[in-house]
Amino acid sequence: MPDNETITLELFRYHPETDSEPRFQSYEVPYDEDWVVLDAINWIKDYVDGSVTHRWSCRMGVCGSCGMMVNGEPKLTCAAFLKNYYPFPIKVEPLVNFPVERDLVVDMEGFMDKLQDVKPYIIRDDVNDTSQGEYRQSPAELAQYKQYSMCINCMLCYAACPVVGHEDEFLGPAALALGHRYNKDSRDQGQSERLEVMLSSEAMWGCTFVGECSVVCPKHVDPAGAIQQAKAMGAQEYFKRFVMPKGAGATKGAGA
Amino acid sequence: MSGQYHRSHSRAWFMERPAYIRFMIRELTSFFMAAYLIVLIITLAKVGAGEAAAAEWLQALSTTGWKVAHAVALAATVWHTITFFAAVPQAMPIYIGEDRVPAPIAKIVMGYGPWVTVTAIILWGVLR
Ligand code: SF4
Ligand code: FES
Repeated sequence: MPDNETITLELFRYHPETDSEPRFQSYEVPYDEDWVVLDAINWIKDYVDGSVTHRWSCRMGVCGSCGMMVNGEPKLTCAAFLKNYYPFPIKVEPLVNFPVERDLVVDMEGFMDKLQDVKPYIIRDDVNDTSQGEYRQSPAELAQYKQYSMCINCMLCYAACPVVGHEDEFLGPAALALGHRYNKDSRDQGQSERLEVMLSSEAMWGCTFVGECSVVCPKHVDPAGAIQQAKAMGAQEYFKRFVMPKGAGATKGAGA
Repeated sequence: MSGQYHRSHSRAWFMERPAYIRFMIRELTSFFMAAYLIVLIITLAKVGAGEAAAAEWLQALSTTGWKVAHAVALAATVWHTITFFAAVPQAMPIYIGEDRVPAPIAKIVMGYGPWVTVTAIILWGVLR
């Protein structure tokens, strides 16, 4: 392949101070088959147009900050190789289902609030003091939730989910998978407390199991699976509360 | 001018991704399953009402229209069942120690295996 090959990137542009509507701007970028879409955007920012705004950090699929729509698909741009699109133009947009702050940057605040809502930490009735050592866990107990702890908060699953796109209040795939991660942790005793939040209709019952969240997840978290399992746990919890209104549930939160 | 830009989805949001179309088809197959169940319940009621009523009902069901409706309902039900079994390993993971049973095996153990067994028993009961 000759050295002077180029590829076109069409970037979504929106600057709130000057634009009332977004527009697309095309850039010719040197084509290198080792480059990812993020390299191309960085090249544009460094050599052509310093006003292009985007988020990134690790460049290796770990920080979760470079998620964008690449030709309509939610992708980590640091893992989307130009060679998979060449010679056709690549359209890059900010993740859908989020308000756009500027160019390729979306507002993550609602997402962060949803993560907090599911109480993503270990809740105990009895907190051991350190002299008693750590809470022990077997490899089999770890296996129950490990997959759901691999999330990098990239929000690709929110961009893939039509329920997120239609219901602002829906907690969404990553937050529900995170809640499930703690519910499945053998050291945790906060399942009832957590399910209090997760059981509401805006939370997990909003999920219609389209399943695209799990397809686009770069870390194989399988939020769709986690939500269906959480629904089963929630139904059991509901039944327990129904038959034992006072003593409710096998597990009890520290604050309960 | 300042502020965030909010993008919205069209009414035909399900056309945005092929997976959304597949989802809508899956949901639509439930309609045919429900319709078939109503026919089945009526059939049981007719059988309960006596031999003459049952024969009359079966006669009514033997028209081409009803046969086509049954074929469509069968296709929809089979497709719904396949999608349902595909979801089973995700919704009900089985662990042996620290190893999760692989999805293809879980599908057979919890889905296709029992399905084929029950179908075989029913066929044996009906055809023998
Ligand atoms: S569940 Fe997967 S797609 Fe969703 S935020 Fe976490 S890593 Fe990203
Ligand atoms: S830059 Fe960190 S995940 Fe892509």
